[in-house]
Amino acid sequence: MGFSDFHGNAGVVHRLREMLAHQRFPQAVILAGPTGSGKYTLALMLAKTLNCLQPVTTDGLPDFCGKCSNCTRIAVAEDLEARTAEAVEARENLRETDKKETRLFIQTHPDVLVIPPDPPQLMIKVDQVRRVIDSIYYRPAEAKERVYVFTDAAFMKEAANSLLKVLEEPPEFATIFLLVENSGELLPTIRSRSMLVTLEALSLEEIEHYLAKHRSDWTSKQRALVARLAEGAVGKARSFDLPAYTAARAHALIILNSALRTGDHGELFKTTETYRAGAEGREKIERLLRTLYGLLQDLMFLQSGTPELLHNIDIESELRKLSEAANFDWIATAADRLAEVDRGMRRNLLRSLSLDAFAAALEK
Amino acid sequence: MPVEALASAAGTATMEITISKFELLRELTATQGVVERKTTIPILSNYLFEAAGDRLSLTATDLDLSLRTSCGAKVKKEGSCTIPARKLHDYVKLLPDADITLKLLENHWVSIRCGRSNTKMVGMAKSNFPALPVFPTAGVVNIPSKVLRSLIAKTSFAIANEESRYTLNGALMVLKPESITMVATDGHRLAHIERAGEKFDGISGEMKTLVPKKAMDELKSLLDSTETDAIEFAKDESTLYFRIGPRLLTSRQLTGQFPNFEAVLPKETPKSITIPASELSSAIQRVAQFADERSRAVRIRLEKGELKLSASSTETGESEDSIETNYDGESLTIGFNAQYILDFLKASGSGDVKLELKDAQSAGQLRPADSEDYKYRYIVMPMRI
Repeated sequence: MGFSDFHGNAGVVHRLREMLAHQRFPQAVILAGPTGSGKYTLALMLAKTLNCLQPVTTDGLPDFCGKCSNCTRIAVAEDLEARTAEAVEARENLRETDKKETRLFIQTHPDVLVIPPDPPQLMIKVDQVRRVIDSIYYRPAEAKERVYVFTDAAFMKEAANSLLKVLEEPPEFATIFLLVENSGELLPTIRSRSMLVTLEALSLEEIEHYLAKHRSDWTSKQRALVARLAEGAVGKARSFDLPAYTAARAHALIILNSALRTGDHGELFKTTETYRAGAEGREKIERLLRTLYGLLQDLMFLQSGTPELLHNIDIESELRKLSEAANFDWIATAADRLAEVDRGMRRNLLRSLSLDAFAAALEK
Repeated sequence: MPVEALASAAGTATMEITISKFELLRELTATQGVVERKTTIPILSNYLFEAAGDRLSLTATDLDLSLRTSCGAKVKKEGSCTIPARKLHDYVKLLPDADITLKLLENHWVSIRCGRSNTKMVGMAKSNFPALPVFPTAGVVNIPSKVLRSLIAKTSFAIANEESRYTLNGALMVLKPESITMVATDGHRLAHIERAGEKFDGISGEMKTLVPKKAMDELKSLLDSTETDAIEFAKDESTLYFRIGPRLLTSRQLTGQFPNFEAVLPKETPKSITIPASELSSAIQRVAQFADERSRAVRIRLEKGELKLSASSTETGESEDSIETNYDGESLTIGFNAQYILDFLKASGSGDVKLELKDAQSAGQLRPADSEDYKYRYIVMPMRI
């Protein structure tokens, strides 16, 4: 338990803990970094440290015990996906009239409020920010510091504006965390009122080293592949769904093969047919599209003579064959077309037909 | 807590009680206001039930505010459980007037039996329920219920709703050894009421407390439904406590400094008239129909023997009303928001009111003309018209 469980970005974590030690922790913090770099984990760790009832010191810096009633209750929020799903379900069970006005919040400790983007638009809405403003001026009940964590930078315009006021002058016992992938997504006026802390993606070696410890059930080849695919995000690497990825990649290769080499439509149609309409198929197609982008990127690496950057190292020979058939213009067009398919998905176009059209349009 | 100790000693949670429908419904209704309706934090839409001795205590909280109440019950097995608040209230309302038996089953299911009706509802683990602040043992002040109710009724309408001015989102309560004062303002108007001639033990000097609007509203409805003569009030660093008979309302404290209101209380108001509240109220209501919809501005003109009210807007037309008065000073024209004046007239009740002015740029003051027990004054900023 403690900050020793946080992987990577040792320098940043050290600096933040020094601020805690000197009681100079900023009241508004933007934690920026790619998915899986540990923004949420770090924010909760800091929330625990701010409120730990039996604070401990490790390496001469403040840490949290992980056992006191504050730490354990905050820790319940760690599984963000599960808590969000619970909140969504709770809203589903409300009366129709209340549903519309109810916004998502996760609060496992009375003084720590997690604000996830509100579905279906998946944005932070003004009512959520209002709730923050309404409650932030109340003194903490069981903790020393009230902590607010916005897990996403997608603010509705009004929401962002109403956040400004409270960011400018939060009460002395409140800390606001804004978690973003890219701080540029936030209003400049929000950025200027907060302290920016950037989490770097982890290096390949660090992730491979971490995986060797925590995913010994994978072979070293699998670990090397996952480390590359996780793109520096340790959380993503650890929970990587390798079978699902391999399946999606097989489909992606069939589509690319059909476009670039054989032109065997029978196999193509059999594959695309499995991408059915409906909510349950959504994750599947999203995974396929992401994988396709990844493969196009790899083809580009091979084309440009930088094979060391390759992600899918286990199928290098197959990718080389594909890359011989492609050229720069083709890859660029394919990426554009893929973006079109992506947009089409949001407009609910038929998934199988969009994929067929994509493959057909790219045939040479 | 004895209840907790019992449940854990038994190894499994138990609870079985019998309670009259009338009493249960009364307490459920009293606490409904605190239960969060629109929340995605499931435990907050539940009641905490704790049975011990010969009483059942019910608790509801929205984290900022919590209300605990209790009623007599036949307790067969002591223990505690949580139950979805809204469903329970809706269901109990429909039950016949008879005894209800509540029993905790496995996996947080609760069975509710009444006559020939039998229902099971699922609650949540009791450990999820937020811890409740404990009523302090020292520094408790007794405040007469009637006084507090009237203080709240005469100020709470002036509390700001603006989210940006958070220190105005509550009323300031000032306790002195022999008086109690309550002040509320939204920056445009200020309601100030003082009750002297009381005796508050345990107060030395001055005790200032910012009472959040939500707590004021809840307190008012609790005071309306009680017959207790005095309530107990206490506070610690983070929480305010109000005990009204068997009910305990707690509110987290708001931070921030209430503005220095004494500076805005007008010192001299040379022009003063006395008019019946009902006449002023109906005249303003009539005239305000023709006021600008956004500003609600009405023009008030003091002339010899007469008070003239007028309003006009380009869309609706114009309107004028006049009231006879005994005024014989210089004439003066001033603008006010009609709603602000009506709010005061509604709260101050019938009888005569005094309108006191200095000039068109200074705040006006309204007071009931004859109030012996309370010193009630209401300050309104003028509008440019």
